[in-house]
Amino acid sequence: MKKLEEVLKDWEAVIGLEIHAELTTLNTKMFCGCKLEFGAAPNTHTCPVCLGMPGALPVPNKAAIESIVLAGLATNCDIEKHSMFYRKNYMYPDMAKNFQTTQGPVAFCMRGHLDLEVDGPAAKERGDLAGLEVGETRGNVTKTEDGYVAHVGITRIHMEEDAGKMVHVGGGEGRIAGATHSLVDYNRAGTPLIELVTEPELRTPEEARLFMQKLRQIYLAIGISDCSMEEGSMRCDGNISLRRRGATEFGTKTELKNMNSFKNLHDGLAYEICRQAEVLENGGYIRQETRHWDPSGKRTICMRVKETADDYRLFPEPDLAPYDLTDEWIDGVRAKLPELPDAKRDRFVATWNLPKADAADLAGDKESAAFFEECAAGLDDAQAKKVANLLLNDVSAYLKEKGLELGESQLAPSALAELAKLLADDVISSKQGKEVLTAMFEEGADPAAYVESHGMKQVSDTGALEAIVDAVIAENPGQVAKYKGGNTKVIGFFVGQCMKQTKGQGNPKLLNELLAKKLDEA
Amino acid sequence: MGNFAMMDVASIQAGLRAKEFTAREVAEDALARVAVADAQVHAFLETCPDLAFAAADRVDAAIAAGDLAKAGTLAGIPVAFKDNMNLVGTHTTCASHMLENYVSPYTATCVKRIIDQGGIPLGKLNMDEFAFGSSTENSAFGRTCNPWDLGRVPGGSSGGSAAAVAAGMCTMTLGSDTGGSIRQPGSFCGVVAVKPTYGVVSRYGVVAFGSSLDQVGPFTRNVRDAALSLNALAGRDVLDCTSQDVTTDFTAALDQDVKGMRIGVVREFMDAAGLTSEVKAKIQEALDKLEEAGAELVEVALPNVHAAISAYYVIAPCEAFSNLARFDSVRYGFCDEGHHDLGGQYEASRSGGFGVEARRRIMLGSYLLSSGVYTKYYYPAQQVRTLITQDYQKAFEQVDCIIAPAAPNVAFKFGEISDPATMYLSDMYTISINIAGNGGMSMPIGLGADSGMPVGAQIITPAFKDENMIRAAAALERIYGTAPIAPAFAEGGAC
Repeated sequence: MKKLEEVLKDWEAVIGLEIHAELTTLNTKMFCGCKLEFGAAPNTHTCPVCLGMPGALPVPNKAAIESIVLAGLATNCDIEKHSMFYRKNYMYPDMAKNFQTTQGPVAFCMRGHLDLEVDGPAAKERGDLAGLEVGETRGNVTKTEDGYVAHVGITRIHMEEDAGKMVHVGGGEGRIAGATHSLVDYNRAGTPLIELVTEPELRTPEEARLFMQKLRQIYLAIGISDCSMEEGSMRCDGNISLRRRGATEFGTKTELKNMNSFKNLHDGLAYEICRQAEVLENGGYIRQETRHWDPSGKRTICMRVKETADDYRLFPEPDLAPYDLTDEWIDGVRAKLPELPDAKRDRFVATWNLPKADAADLAGDKESAAFFEECAAGLDDAQAKKVANLLLNDVSAYLKEKGLELGESQLAPSALAELAKLLADDVISSKQGKEVLTAMFEEGADPAAYVESHGMKQVSDTGALEAIVDAVIAENPGQVAKYKGGNTKVIGFFVGQCMKQTKGQGNPKLLNELLAKKLDEA
Repeated sequence: MGNFAMMDVASIQAGLRAKEFTAREVAEDALARVAVADAQVHAFLETCPDLAFAAADRVDAAIAAGDLAKAGTLAGIPVAFKDNMNLVGTHTTCASHMLENYVSPYTATCVKRIIDQGGIPLGKLNMDEFAFGSSTENSAFGRTCNPWDLGRVPGGSSGGSAAAVAAGMCTMTLGSDTGGSIRQPGSFCGVVAVKPTYGVVSRYGVVAFGSSLDQVGPFTRNVRDAALSLNALAGRDVLDCTSQDVTTDFTAALDQDVKGMRIGVVREFMDAAGLTSEVKAKIQEALDKLEEAGAELVEVALPNVHAAISAYYVIAPCEAFSNLARFDSVRYGFCDEGHHDLGGQYEASRSGGFGVEARRRIMLGSYLLSSGVYTKYYYPAQQVRTLITQDYQKAFEQVDCIIAPAAPNVAFKFGEISDPATMYLSDMYTISINIAGNGGMSMPIGLGADSGMPVGAQIITPAFKDENMIRAAAALERIYGTAPIAPAFAEGGAC
C-alpha cells in the first residue's frame, strides 16, 4: 500500500466525524432519576423508566439540556429555540424500550464550526496548499506562517440517550461470535448523550485528530463530560470517502468505528484512506460498509455491508412536549460559559508572552491552566515562561511516571513559582532545578530553603568564574590548540572542567560566554 | 349482605360515618358480590383481597380515630382498575398472553391517587388486548358480557370497567380512552363515563397504546361520584410531563343550572350515515329537554371532523407500534424459549404473545412509519389533526359544550361485527375528541326504543373546561335520573 502523503497527492480524502459524548458530570440519567455512575454492579442503577417497563414515561433532565446548549454555544452553533425529541425505532436488547429517544431534523444546536490551527509537521498531510500565500484563503483553508487554519463546519449537536451494555458469554474475548448467551447491563441505559456531527469538511487524519482534540478540550473546559476515550464516555466514528483531486462529486463512503484514542483516530483514518486508494487504483469500487479499526493488526476490518439504508421509522416522541427555549434562558446559559481554550491561550500569550504552542498546551487542560495562572500571577515574562516549561515538561513527566494528577500531588503553586524565579534569575541551574523539584514533590521541600541548605546556589560571579576559566585554559594547552584549529566543539570539554572546579555550581551560560571569549583571545 | 358496591359514594360514606358498617365489611361484601355476579359478566381478570382489606383497614383506623375525612374523599368506596393500569403486586396483563404472568413492580399515578383517597381496590378489569378494540372481544382471557343483555358486548376497550359498574360490582372503576374506549362502553352499559381533556390525568403507569391520545377517566353511576373521582385524579404529576396543573373542584359544577348554557349541535354528527334511529331519537329528546330546562341550542360546524377516523388509524397504530416494541421477551413477558438467535426468539415470542388485532396494528404502524410512506400518511394525518383541533376551537367560541351521540348504535351482539373496518366505525363519534384532545363523556339518557338497551349522550367540552360537561351531565341526570344498575343485577334481580 502507498503511504498517506503519496496517496493524498492524487486523492482528496473527505472525512466527516460523528462524536458522541456522555454527559458524565450530571448526577442523573436523561429521562429518569437513576444515578449516573461508571463501574457499579450490573443493573443496580435502574428503574421502571430506564428498564422500559410497561406504563413508564420519560421526564427530561433539565440539566442535560443546559449542558448541550453550553456545548452549542462553545462551538459557535445556533441554538434552536424550538426543537423536539423523536423516537428512533430499532429492536436490540440493549435498548429497553426498543426505541432510542433522540432528536429529529431540528436539534438543539445547529450550524456551528471550529477553526483548527494546523501547524508544523501536521500541516504536511494537506497536499493542496501549494501556491497559497500567507493570509490567503482557498475553500475552508487560510494559509498561516506555520501552516494553515481550517474552518470546519458542525452540522448539528443533538441530545439523545445511551443504550445499555451487552456482554456476550461463552465466545472468545466477549465477542458475539460463538457466544452461548448474552447478558445486558442497563446501568448505562438512559445516560444523557450528545452527538456532534461535522460537515464532510475534514481532509486529513491530522485535521480529524485535531478536531477531536479541540472538541475534547472545549467539553472539558465547559465541564459537561469527563471525555474519557478509553472508558467510552467520548466516542468517535468517521465517515471517509476519496475523490480525485479536482473532482467535485463525493465518492462512496465507509464508516469507521473503534477509534478510541487520538492515535487510533489518526491511524485508523490514515489506513482507511490508503486502503480505499489502493482499491480504486486497482480498478475496484468501494462498498458502503461499516469497518472496524484493529489497532494491533493495524488495519480496518469489514463489520457489515450496508446494502440499503437503515429504516429507523423516526417520528416525534409523543410522551415529551416540544421544547421552547427563551432568549433569557439561553442568555443565562451563555453567562455560565467559561473562558474557552483558544481565548485562554491568546490571553496567556498576550499577558506573559508565552510561545503560542506552550500557551495552547496549558490552556487546553483546565487544571494545568488554573495552576499556571496561580503560579504566574505577579511573575515577569521570563519567570512565567519557566513556570510553563516546568509544568509542561518536568512536572508532567514526574506526574505521568507516578500516575498522579496535578491536584493529587503536594506541589503548591507558590512553591513552583518560587522555583521558576530561582531558575529564571540564574540562581540555580536547570539540572539543579530538577533535583529541587523532586524534593518538592517528595518531601514538600521549600525551594529557597532547599537550595540554601544544599549549598546549591549557582555561581554567577563573573570575577570568581573568570579565575577558574583562566586556570582551566592554562592547564589544557592541547585542547586549546584543537579549538584554535577550528574544532570549536571542544568548548564542551572546557565547560565540563570548569563545572568540576565549581562543584557543579557555575552558571553554565556565563561559563560558555567567558570560555568563548577567553579561548578566542588565547 | 349490604350490597355496598351498588351504593354511591355519599351513601357508603354516610353509613361509615354513622358506624352502620365498617370499610372491612364493605370490602368483604363487595368481593363476595364479585364472586357471584362476575360468574355471569366476567368483568374481572383478577381480584386482590389482600390489597382491598389493607385499604379498608386504613379507612376503619381513620374512623376509629374519629376522622373519616382524613381517610380521603373516596374512603371506603369499592373500586377496580382496567388491567392496563399498574398496581404493585397485581398482574397487569393488558388482557394479553404477552403479559399473562407479568406482576407490576410499581403503581400507576391514577391508581395511587384513588387508593390514596381511601378507595378499596377490588381488582383488575377485562379489556380488549392492549386496548385495541371496541367490544372487549379481543381479550386473550375471554369476553366480558353486557350486564343489560349477556348476549351483547359491553363495548370496549374498557368493557370490564363499564360492566363492573353497570352490574353493581363496584361503585367506581377506571378505564382508559384512546379513541372512545371509555365513552363507548359507558354508552353501551348505561353508566357515567368520563374521558377528561388530554393532560388532566397522569398517564404514568398506564400501559401506553397511543401516547398522544390516551387518557384515563372514571366510570360511575352518578355524576357526583364522577366529579369526586376527577377531583382525586386530576392534576400535574412530575412523572408524566404531558400532565397539567388542574386544581378545579369538579363538584362545584354539579349544582349549576343549565339555564343560559350554550349547547352545540353538530349537523355532521346528527345526520351521519350509520347513526341508528333509536339512538338519534334519544339524543334529539335529550337536546329538547335541555332546551326546555333553559339551555340554548346552537348549531355549530366541524367541517373536517369526517377525516378523524382516517387520521386516527394512522396516528394511533404508529404510536402503538413503537409503544409495543418493548414487549420483546427479553426482560419480561411471554418468551418462546429455545431459539439460537435473537431474531428467531423475537419473532416467535411476539407472534405467540400478541393477538390478531395487536399484530394487525403493529404491522400497520410499522408500515406507516417506514421510509417513503411516512410522508404520505403520518405527516398529512398530523395536518388533519391540526385542522380538527381548530374546528373544535372555533366551535367552542360559540358554545360551552357540544352534545352528540357517544356511539352510533346500542350494544351489539357477540360476533355481530367481524370486519375490523366496521368495528372501527363504532368509534366514529368519539375519535375526533381524542384527536383534538378535548374532554368528553357519555351520560346515560334511558333506553333505546327498539332494543331496550342503554343509550349514552356524549357531552364534549373545550380543552381544560371539563367542568362544563359535569354541569351539562348534572342537568341530564336531573331529567333522566342516575344510572340504574342493569335490571338482572339490581337488588331483587336474577343474578
